[in-house]
Amino acid sequence: MSEVDVNPGPAREGVDTGGPTIMPGENRDTHRTTTRSITSNVMLLAIGLLFLAPMVWLVFSSLDSQATWSVEWPHFTLSNFSQVLTGSDLQALVNSIILAVLSTLIATVAGMLAAYALSRRRIPFKGPLLLFVLFTSGVPLTILIVPLYQLFATYGLLTIVPTAVFLAVTSLPFEIYLIKNFIDAVPEDLEEAARLEQANTFQVLTKVVGPLALPGIAAAAIFGFVNAWGSFVVPLILISPSTQQPAPVAIYGFIGAANVRYGDIAAYSLMFCVPVFILYGLSSRLFREGFVLGGAVKG
Amino acid sequence: MVSTAPLDTINGPHVSELWNTRNDRERFQWGSLALLTPAFALLVVLFLIPVGYAVYLGFTNLTLVGPTAVHWGFTGAQNLTRLRTDTTFIASLRLTAFFVVGSIIGVVVIGYGLASLLQRAQTWIRVIVGGVVVIAWMMPAITAGMTWYASTTAGGTFATLTGLNQSDFLSSQPLLIVTIANIWSQTGFAMLVIGAALRNIPSEILEAAIVENASPWQRFRLVTLPILRPTITAVVLLVALLSLANFSLIYVMTQGGPGNATNILPLYSYQQAFQFNNLAYGALIGNVMVLLAAFFGVLYVRVATRRS
Repeated sequence: MSEVDVNPGPAREGVDTGGPTIMPGENRDTHRTTTRSITSNVMLLAIGLLFLAPMVWLVFSSLDSQATWSVEWPHFTLSNFSQVLTGSDLQALVNSIILAVLSTLIATVAGMLAAYALSRRRIPFKGPLLLFVLFTSGVPLTILIVPLYQLFATYGLLTIVPTAVFLAVTSLPFEIYLIKNFIDAVPEDLEEAARLEQANTFQVLTKVVGPLALPGIAAAAIFGFVNAWGSFVVPLILISPSTQQPAPVAIYGFIGAANVRYGDIAAYSLMFCVPVFILYGLSSRLFREGFVLGGAVKG
Repeated sequence: MVSTAPLDTINGPHVSELWNTRNDRERFQWGSLALLTPAFALLVVLFLIPVGYAVYLGFTNLTLVGPTAVHWGFTGAQNLTRLRTDTTFIASLRLTAFFVVGSIIGVVVIGYGLASLLQRAQTWIRVIVGGVVVIAWMMPAITAGMTWYASTTAGGTFATLTGLNQSDFLSSQPLLIVTIANIWSQTGFAMLVIGAALRNIPSEILEAAIVENASPWQRFRLVTLPILRPTITAVVLLVALLSLANFSLIYVMTQGGPGNATNILPLYSYQQAFQFNNLAYGALIGNVMVLLAAFFGVLYVRVATRRS
């Protein structure tokens, strides 16, 4: 987790305008600068502690054989982890993987094809199409739950695969934007060279544009995965068989159980977070570039 | 498959392209349609149609169980009349406004504060504090809700920290606590993008302001803030949309309670649809959210496309 490259600093690769930034006020009034620097460091530590406080319970209780809701130094054990890696709890984690992988595949493939066409081809009404995509990425998806439940129930689709397809749609707009921005940056000359060698569109996509836009595609895929992995209300309502429910629903079930197993909740939640942290860590640079390129955020 | 080479290429146009009447721009290719179809078919079937269907459902008497679960139909403005006099709905609007506005203010102020403090902080502090805030942002909503539930319930971390050991903050100040939890889980994003924007401010501008003897407040108000404005606007709108749609975090922590104390629109819509079995009425409350989201969405699109 600590290798997450997320710490805003004056000199960093990627987004920087080049060269270390010299902060105004430095070397000007050394005494005042020192006081200010100490104050800001102390303030930062205080805010950091406040942000850290809620997480302490999660870590301590996951290692505590006698965990409760309160924060105590753990009676060290790893049995909480082994206990939740069995039976229906393990099944829920497997379901989460199926749901997330399937949804990521669908969204990334469909997103890449559309992004390529929107980036390179002449398409009538391209402006309105892009606006539609941008707009769908901004609409809260909670509002789709009722109509989708009714549609899925009518056609008997309240299972894991249709839910994965819907989750793919929820991340599709942002994935299209992200990948399109990366394809826009791939020089067209390379593609024309491939065309002259009689490459067809499929070959251009897989051998030229795909590899060159890979950081963007990877970032988009990670976004899709994290989006599907963390989603709770969509599977809660759209998946009817309890054996197909993913981990977030299982976590929620822990709280409602007759005798709450605090240590298990913490251990399971922590394990559930780990893939997200790793993926974000891997992609934090790609993501940041994606956001900057996305046009939504320009400084 | 027809070649995509633009006609101004030095290699000259393909013979097939010479037949065409317009040679001054790239032609539409039917192959493009094949590329666009998967994505847009999905978006239309699972996004556009459900939104339209939701609008219709809002004006029906569909229920989850009972006779009207099967034999349901259009009932006109009946649900609208009910909505206008529904005190829980009106209270829910107020709760939603508090939750969304509170979250925006908290996220932007703390996110900016952190971003600017981190710029002049020592490296190890930057790594640790920045890391903790970003981890809070990355945490899936269900886990964030869990940790906040554990921390604010009776005997939890915050009760211990404040020395009021048996006080149950989540029961006594539910709306405030879920708003703080939401701020906690979104600040990392604001910190990252505002930090990136801050680093892109050319240092000469701030140096010039210092030479002109501008006070720190003047530098912030007259130099930094105008440059950051597009970024902050984008953050405000994204936080607004994400908070408006927030379901999981609050559902895990309070389920909208105690009573209706944290019953913001997404939760009330869910409650009506799936707990009180009024699918149609739940859809109508969802439609109100569509309108609110569309307002923010239009603003978002305008801001996002203004300079590109």
